[in-house]
Amino acid sequence: MLELYISSVILGLCISGILLLVSIGLSIGFGLMRIINMEQMVYYTFGAYLTYALVAWAGSFWLGLLAGTLVAGAAGFLVETQLLRRVYGKELMFTMVVTFSVFMIGIGLIQYVFGLASKPVGQPFAASLSLFGTKVPVYRLVVIVISLVVYVLIQLFLNKTIFGKAIRAGIENPDQVQGLGINIRRIFTITFVVASGLAGFGGCLHSPLVGVRPYMGFDMLLLAFITVILGGLGSLKGTLISAAILGQVISVGGTIYSPLSSVGPFIVMFIVILLKPTGLYGIKGKAFGFEE
Amino acid sequence: MNRTVEYLRGPFILIVLIVISRYLFPSKMTFLVEITTFSIYIIANDILYGYMGMVSFGQPFYLGVGAYTAAIYLAHIGNNPLVAIMLALFAGLLAGVILGPAYIRLRGDYFALINAASCGLGLFLVEKTFLAFTRGDDGLWYRSRMQATPFLDLRKPSEFFWFAMIVLFLVLVWYTWLNRSTLGASFRAIKVNESKMKFLGYNTFVIRWTGFTLNCILAALAGAMFAVNYGFVNPSITAPDRAAEVLVATLLGGPGSIYGPFFGTVAFIGLRDVVSTFVSRWELAMGILTIIVCFKFRGGVWGTIQIIGNQLKSLKGKSSAQNV
Repeated sequence: MLELYISSVILGLCISGILLLVSIGLSIGFGLMRIINMEQMVYYTFGAYLTYALVAWAGSFWLGLLAGTLVAGAAGFLVETQLLRRVYGKELMFTMVVTFSVFMIGIGLIQYVFGLASKPVGQPFAASLSLFGTKVPVYRLVVIVISLVVYVLIQLFLNKTIFGKAIRAGIENPDQVQGLGINIRRIFTITFVVASGLAGFGGCLHSPLVGVRPYMGFDMLLLAFITVILGGLGSLKGTLISAAILGQVISVGGTIYSPLSSVGPFIVMFIVILLKPTGLYGIKGKAFGFEE
Repeated sequence: MNRTVEYLRGPFILIVLIVISRYLFPSKMTFLVEITTFSIYIIANDILYGYMGMVSFGQPFYLGVGAYTAAIYLAHIGNNPLVAIMLALFAGLLAGVILGPAYIRLRGDYFALINAASCGLGLFLVEKTFLAFTRGDDGLWYRSRMQATPFLDLRKPSEFFWFAMIVLFLVLVWYTWLNRSTLGASFRAIKVNESKMKFLGYNTFVIRWTGFTLNCILAALAGAMFAVNYGFVNPSITAPDRAAEVLVATLLGGPGSIYGPFFGTVAFIGLRDVVSTFVSRWELAMGILTIIVCFKFRGGVWGTIQIIGNQLKSLKGKSSAQNV
């Protein structure tokens, strides 16, 4: 019985890692550009499908990881510079419907190229490790480690480099940053490319665990939003902690009572929004759209 | 008297157009009934979004409240479809009154997301928890249990069509009234500037609560009509991933106008059906079309029709002026 829980805790950490990668970009973009990025998960799907394709054709998972991240970032650059620039500052619903349309176009493209059927992706490591008397696939541990490394790198990027500092200042007050002579539009583009690259990276890492489906982004979309809301907007630490909580809710909760794996995140979000709408690490009054 | 005629004229013309097209294209009757039901659902969302500026990701939940109330009544308790629809209206009222105070105090994306969360919870309740009543994923089937109702036998598609026409007519007349009423004006004022409304002495909380409850009732009505028309419901009706089609249809039609929801529904369902006969991947075409409508036709379908109508009118005015 204990072995079951240990392995589900590790699976939960692995899910947390994926959630963290996918929602960091969403959280920063949400805080900086003040738009709801429904299409962020297109890049996640792109990354996953490129990994599938390259594992199938070239036989290399790591090539897929690289290509998926780069293509996701490039797609993000294209969408931001061509479309989303016209959307900033418009009302909430408008941005949501436009970005959702981009999401649908992305799903349509994926279906056009790869078809509707879901496909498995081979795991890069077949080996498993013996931990506390349970067998744990090495790949899950690798995902946990990689996501933590990425988190540390992003923290360093935001705190130590001048671009990162400009991004953080932009989250506080975009107009002031513009007034200082920093090109906020370029900051937006860089943030967006990093965010979409991270989402693609998350998709690549997630694909061996769940396989690829055209609609995989839909499932991830709500989970990523729940992670962002639970952690508090624009707060990386909050995103880390909420991803850790949600991973355990999905995995351990699902082990205790199986429907909890699908409904648990919703219950958590329900309670958090009703009790503390700014999230765990959000600042009161700072949350987008909440004024009271 | 004059005003009453004004309220009745527009909806009447629309209903006559639908009835004419029903006899011109007899094979399209199910399509017309689907549009009628769906446009009531879109009207519900339009009260929230078009009038009050509140975006909800959880509209399927309120649809599901109505549909499952009607379905559980028809499958387990009674067999009169009209009573089922009445009960669904009441369930929508209850949902709005009970959930309102908790949801209404949230703004913007939080309101949108808590609705998405209730959608997920609703799916869970009907799919996993109340299996004895809802039969989970199998869905509820009760067409054989429904009894004939006087005047219109709702079991027959051709007579359900007339029932749907009556319901749509009543809803549209009410919606026209809302558009001109103080209530509608205060909804719009809340969208523009809520603090000024408060300053003027209006209780904005109650106004928003009313709007939210109206949304719930209308969505539940649409759900009940869906349930009675098809004779079965299954949990996919409350699935959160169907929330987006409501938003797209509302925006396509032109939010905040009387006939916008109806034309948005025609455009959305029509395009979906037309596109999916040509290409099997309708998402691609739908996404591109939505982006074009968003950027080029800001008023949606109905807004564009109005602009063209105004241009025609002014042309007519010019030519008649020249004649004089």
